[in-house]
Amino acid sequence: MTLLERDEALAQLQVLMARACGGTGALVVVEGEAGIGKSALLRALADAQPAATPVWWGLCDALQTPRPLGPWLDVAEQAGDPLRALLVTDAPRPRVFAACVDQLGAQSALVIIEDLHWADEATLDLLRHLGRRIARTRSLLVASCRDDELGPTHPVRVLLGDLATAGVQRLALRPLSIDAVRQLVADRPLDALALHQATGGNPFFVTEVLAAGGSRIPASVRDAVLSRSARLSASARAVLEMAAVAGPRVEAGLLDELAAAEAAAVDDCLRSGILTAEAQTFVFRHELARQAVLESLAPTRLRVLHRLTLQALQADGAPPPSLARLVHHAAQAGDSEAVRLHAPAAAQQAARQGAHREAAAHYATLLAFSSALDAAQRAQFTEAHAYECYLVGDIASAVAGREAALGLWRRLGRRDREGDTLRWLSRLHWFLGHGELARRHAQAAIDTLEPLPASSELAMACSNAAQLAMLADNAAAAVSWGERAIALAEALGATEILAHALNNVGTARIRDSDEAGWRLLERSLQIALAHDLEEHAGRAYANLTSCGVELRDYAAAWRYCNDGIAYCLERDLDAWTFYLMAWRARAHYEQGRWSAAAAEAAGLVQRAGLPNVSRIPALVTLGAVRVRRGDPGAHELLDEARTLALDTGELQRIGPMVVARAEAAWLAGDLEACTTEAQMGADLAERCRMPWAIGEGTFWLWRAGRSVTPGDGMARPYVLQMRGDWRAAAEAWCALGCPYEQARALTDGDEGALREALAIFESLGAAPMIERVRRSLRVAGVRGLPRGPRATTQEHPAGLTLKEVQVLALLAQGLRSREIGERLSRSTRTVDHHLASIFVKLGVATRAEAVSAAHRLGLVQATG
Amino acid sequence: MPRYLVERTFPDGLGLPANAEGAQACLGVVGKNLKEGVTWVHSYCTPDRKKTFCVYDGPSPESIRVAAQANGLPVDRISEVRVLDPYFLH
Repeated sequence: MTLLERDEALAQLQVLMARACGGTGALVVVEGEAGIGKSALLRALADAQPAATPVWWGLCDALQTPRPLGPWLDVAEQAGDPLRALLVTDAPRPRVFAACVDQLGAQSALVIIEDLHWADEATLDLLRHLGRRIARTRSLLVASCRDDELGPTHPVRVLLGDLATAGVQRLALRPLSIDAVRQLVADRPLDALALHQATGGNPFFVTEVLAAGGSRIPASVRDAVLSRSARLSASARAVLEMAAVAGPRVEAGLLDELAAAEAAAVDDCLRSGILTAEAQTFVFRHELARQAVLESLAPTRLRVLHRLTLQALQADGAPPPSLARLVHHAAQAGDSEAVRLHAPAAAQQAARQGAHREAAAHYATLLAFSSALDAAQRAQFTEAHAYECYLVGDIASAVAGREAALGLWRRLGRRDREGDTLRWLSRLHWFLGHGELARRHAQAAIDTLEPLPASSELAMACSNAAQLAMLADNAAAAVSWGERAIALAEALGATEILAHALNNVGTARIRDSDEAGWRLLERSLQIALAHDLEEHAGRAYANLTSCGVELRDYAAAWRYCNDGIAYCLERDLDAWTFYLMAWRARAHYEQGRWSAAAAEAAGLVQRAGLPNVSRIPALVTLGAVRVRRGDPGAHELLDEARTLALDTGELQRIGPMVVARAEAAWLAGDLEACTTEAQMGADLAERCRMPWAIGEGTFWLWRAGRSVTPGDGMARPYVLQMRGDWRAAAEAWCALGCPYEQARALTDGDEGALREALAIFESLGAAPMIERVRRSLRVAGVRGLPRGPRATTQEHPAGLTLKEVQVLALLAQGLRSREIGERLSRSTRTVDHHLASIFVKLGVATRAEAVSAAHRLGLVQATG
Repeated sequence: MPRYLVERTFPDGLGLPANAEGAQACLGVVGKNLKEGVTWVHSYCTPDRKKTFCVYDGPSPESIRVAAQANGLPVDRISEVRVLDPYFLH
C-alpha cells in the first residue's frame, strides 16, 4: 500500500536516524488518533533502513493488565544476548536498564515501541531511563502513541513531561487531506468529499470503507469493519471472533488449535485482508478492527471464547504464555480457579520488575474472585495489594486495603500481623497529612507488638515512631524510640531497619544542635550505599542536605546535595532528586545567588504532580526571591505555600514560609502582619528548640517593633544584631556566606556601613532594600549618590564579581593559577583566593566542575 | 501572559542611534528575548535618555530578568501592569 502525505514525517525520522548513526541518538514519539497511520509510517521507516541496520519491534499489550516490560521482551528477543538473557531471567532492574543503554550504544539500531498508551509501568520507567541517555547512544528509538487517549494524569503524559528537558521529539500525524482521499477513491462510485467528511480523513477508516466496497459510507469505523467481515462465510467469521479474543497477536499454533478443522476459514480471513500473517503469528490489520469484532460479541459468547483460549494456552505442548495473558483470559472467562492459580504469580513478577501499577491490578483481579481464597490468603493478598497501591501513590486505596487486612488479621488472631498493619496505617496517615491519626496508630502498633517476642516488626514500629517524632521536631521522643529500634535491628541483623532508624535518630539529633547526629546520619548513608538500599540512600542524602542548609553549614550541604542528586539521577529516584533540588534552590537563595535559585525553584513549581514536601520549599524560595528583588507575583506563591505548609504542621516547611511572609510584610510597611507571621514562626521554633528558626522569628518581631529578649537558644548573628552589635553580626553573616543578611546587619550602622550595605544590595539587585538605604543616606544628608546601579555591576548568574568571571574564563581555557595570575597581573595566591570564592559561589569542589558549571551558566560564553 | 513595566537606568545615557545600526541592535534584543518567551512591546524614554520604561509581555518576572541579563540591560524594577483607559471606564 502506498503511504500518502507522510513524506515529511518520514524524512524527519530519516534525518534523526542518520544522526543516530553518526553518534547522537534520539527518542521520538509519533502521536495521533487510532487509525491515523502511525504503524504504517513506522513500517515504511523500517523498510527504508539498509539491510545491515537492525530494526527491533516491541508491542505494548492491549490486555486488561499488560505484561511487565512486554515490549522490551519483544525487543530483547530480536536483539539477542546479553539483553535477552537478562530479561528472561528477571535480572535486577538496574542491570536490565544499563544493558539496554549499552545495547543501543553498541551499534546503530532502529527500535520501535508501538502503542505506548497501553504500556506497563516498568516499560515507561525504562523509557524514561533511556530517554535521558539516548543522546549518548547510536540508536533511534521511536514510540507510537494515541495522544487522544491520554488524560492529563496519564502516566505517558507524565513521562513526556519528565523527558521534555531531555530533548524528546514529538511528531504529530495529521489526517489525510481531501486530495489524498480523492486519490484513494480513484474511480470508485463514492463521493470523495463525503467520505473525507465522514472519516475525518482517518486513513484506516477511509481504506476500510473502500475495502468494504459498495457505495454507502458507514457511520463509524466499527460499522466499516463489520460490513467488511459480514461478507465472509460463517466459519471464517467464527475464526475472526476467535482470533479477536485470543489476540492481539495469535500464534499460528494457537489459532490452529482453536479453529480446529477450519483451516480453509483461516485462509478466507487472510484473503480478505482483515487478518494478516507475520512470521508464525496472525494479527488484525489494525487494532481498531479487532476491537470492532470484539465489541460485536455477546457477553456469553465472549466468556466461552475466553475459556477456550485459556484451555488452549494451558494445553500440554503449548509454548508457555505470559502470566499476564493467562490472568487476562481467566478473568474474562470468569474462571476463579484459574485466576487464583495465575494472578499471584503474575502480580509478583510485575512487582519484581517494577511494574507496580500492573501488580496492583493483578491483585485487584485476584481479590475480585476472593471467594476462592481462605481468610489468611485474603488477608495476605489484601496487604500485598495495599503495598502496591502505596508504591504507585494511591494512598487512599492503600489505607482502605490495610484497614480491611487489619480486620482479617484480628479475626485470625495474628497479633504480629495486626501490629505491622497498624504501623503501616500510621505511615499512610502521615502521607495524607493526618498527623494525629498517624501518631495514634504508631503507638497502637508498638502496644500490640511489645508483648510478643522481639521481632523486626517491633523494630520497624519503633523506627516509625521515631520518624514521626523527628518530623514533628520532638527530638527527645525521636531519639528514645530510634535508639530502641537501632538496638533491636542490630540484634536481629535487620539492615534496612537499621539504616532507617539511624537516619531518624541522626536527623533528630542534628536538628537538636547535637553534633553527634552527623555521624549517625552518615552511617545510615554508608549502610544504604553498601547494601544498595536506594530509597534509604536517597533519604539519607536528603536529610544530610536539609540539615546542612537549616544549620547554614553550606559546605556540608553542597557536598551531600551534589552527590545525592548525582546518585538519584543515575537511578531515576525522581522524588528524591526533586526534593534535593528544592533544597539546592534554597541554598542558592540564602547564599545570594538569586538567579540560580529562581531558575531552579521555578522549574520545580511548574512541574505537575510534584509532592508537597518539594513544592512547598520551591514556592517559598521563588516567592522569597521575588520579595527581595521587589518583583511582582510573590504573594500568590507565598499564599499557596502557606496553605500547603500549615497542613504539614512541620517546622521544616512552615518556618521558611512564615519568615518570607514576615519579610514581605515588613518591606511593605505592614508591621502588624509582620508581627503575626513572625510570632507564629517564633512560637513553633521555640517548641522545636531550633536556634536558627528561633533567631529568625525573634528577629522579625524585633524589626516589627516588638520588645524581645535576645539570648540563649538563638543563633548568634541574630543575637548580635538585636543587641546592637551590627558590625559583629555583619561579620558573622559574611563568614557564613549570606550576603543579604550581612548587608541587612550593616543597615543598622553608620554612614560607612550604610554605603557598604548599599553596594552589597546593588550587587544582589535587592531593589526594596536599595531604596530604603538610599533614603536613610539622604536623610543623613549624604549627597552625590549615583542614581542607580551600572549595567556592569549587575548580578552575574552565580553572583560572581567581574574579576571572578575573568579568572573563571581563563580557567575554562585550561590555564593554571600561575598562568592566570600572569595574564591578570595578580599573584598566584590572589588567583587562588578568587578560585576559592568561585568554588563556594558555584557550589563546586574541583576545577573541572567549576569549568562545567561556568559553561552551564553561560558565563564563559558571555565573556568570550 | 502577564504584562510588565520594566524600569531601567542608564547613568551615561542610552546610546541607541536612530539608524540602521540602532535598528539592528533592537532586533538583536528581540532575538535574545525569544529564547525566554519574552516580548518587548515598546518603551518610553526620558528626554535625557537616562531612564527607560519598557512594556514587556512574558511568562514571569524571572524570564524578564534572564532576558535582560542576556542583552546586558539593567533592571531597576519590574511591576505587573494592566491597561487603564480613561475614556472607556465603565
